Amino acid sequence: MTYEEEVQKMSFEDSMNALEALVKELEAGGIDLDRSIEIYERAVILRNHCREILDDSERRIQKIMETANGVKKEDFEVD
Amino acid sequence: MPEVISVTELNTRVRDLFARTSSLNDVWVSGEISNLKKYPSGYYFTLKDQNSEIHSVMFRSAVSRIDFEPTENMKVRAFGSIGMYVPRGTYQFIVEVMDRSGVGDRYLAFEALKKKLGEEGLFDESHKRPLPRYPNTIGVVTSQTGAVIHDIITTSATRYPANILLAPAMVQGDGAAETIVAGIELLNRQGVDVIIVGRGGGSIEDLWPFNEEIVARAIYNSQAPVVSAVGHETDFTIADFVADVRAPTPTGAAAIILRDRNEILSEIRSLSIRAENAVSSKMLDDRRAFQSMDSRLGPKRAEDMLKMMSLRLDGLSKDMDSSLSGKIEQMRSRFDLLDSKLRPSRALDSIGAFSTRIEMNLDKMRASTISKMESSRMSIDAKSKHLEGLNPRNVLTRGYTMITSRQGRILTSAKDIEVGESISVDLKDGRVTADVTKKEMRQ
Repeated sequence: MTYEEEVQKMSFEDSMNALEALVKELEAGGIDLDRSIEIYERAVILRNHCREILDDSERRIQKIMETANGVKKEDFEVD
Repeated sequence: MPEVISVTELNTRVRDLFARTSSLNDVWVSGEISNLKKYPSGYYFTLKDQNSEIHSVMFRSAVSRIDFEPTENMKVRAFGSIGMYVPRGTYQFIVEVMDRSGVGDRYLAFEALKKKLGEEGLFDESHKRPLPRYPNTIGVVTSQTGAVIHDIITTSATRYPANILLAPAMVQGDGAAETIVAGIELLNRQGVDVIIVGRGGGSIEDLWPFNEEIVARAIYNSQAPVVSAVGHETDFTIADFVADVRAPTPTGAAAIILRDRNEILSEIRSLSIRAENAVSSKMLDDRRAFQSMDSRLGPKRAEDMLKMMSLRLDGLSKDMDSSLSGKIEQMRSRFDLLDSKLRPSRALDSIGAFSTRIEMNLDKMRASTISKMESSRMSIDAKSKHLEGLNPRNVLTRGYTMITSRQGRILTSAKDIEVGESISVDLKDGRVTADVTKKEMRQ
């Protein structure tokens, strides 16, 4: 599994935490340029993932009811 | 001499006596309001019946508890205690709550339930759960027609994009509490991350479902943390005490639960900038290190190395060519390694923002490296040809010989050779051994 695929499955909170951890690792230094760039690339992937979640206009507003036939959900519109 | 006390002491004793006398505390009194004066600190009035009257006061906190405006001549039931105002030596009736139709009973019920649940630990701080930082889905238990759900949806539009799941409930009247409980339980079964329970402002009667025990217990038993947003900021219900967080308004509830989207974006931006700066400064460091390495590997340095090698060569008759080319190869691979480590294209692929500047610098650097390497290589080639000329084996093809002692030492002086000694003579295609029969020194 590539790192992109791994990140796609991560929650927003996990991604933010991972991003922060990578930045701290970069800032701490003591790693060679290849590794720095590798970490940076991962940070970019995480950042993009976080932005995607934030830009996601697909959030759903629904109402839920218990009926004789079980639980029913339907989209909810504000008047 | 009898005891003499001050006036203050006397009035203080009266005050203490009032306070100790249970028949003067927490009593319901019926009467009519007169001489009503309203101040920010509270309402001051006289409560009277046909035969008597008493000064009364209702402080601001108590005023906020009643859902009607007292007026002159209004018949009321007031609940409170006798208090003594020591500086004036007057006593008054301090009203906690007042009603015209049994609202006071509700107040008592509220106080009793609050006490009971408090003692049971339903309000304990230790039971308060933290709210999720980035909830996936927010459950809302409220009326589907009121302003509450509207405010929550509107407010959340500019915040972290959580899904909203509304469990419609009645928020006032008979049976309302049951629908609120059902909503909380239903949302918990759906696995929402946090629940808002709320309604807009209203009278104490309207808010009453949120003071009912079953609602309090449903909030307490909820798996998901609960944020209460009931009535106005000044209204406190039992639900507010049990909830993990009390929000002043429905809008406030959405704002407490969901971080502002721009705030999150700027946090991400700042993390990105920090990452870029860290990598950029790392590249700068490496470039400096490269430059220092590069200067050590310049033509002058190569020449020195070649000089050293040619000195050593004098003492060797074998493996010279391969040794030299080995050294050259090593030097080349050191160049190649450094060159590949710092090849700009790799770094540039990943670093968009500051690529232009860095690229220009790296291009310059590469050009300088290539030109330095070229001149190094040319110099090395020239030296190599020169050294090739120094190869003794080449000399042998021109008719010279090389004489070595039996110990393998190269002999260059007649002084080193004695008559009768065996010597080896190297020719271009072989070696002969000879005995020295005669020696003449040249003057």
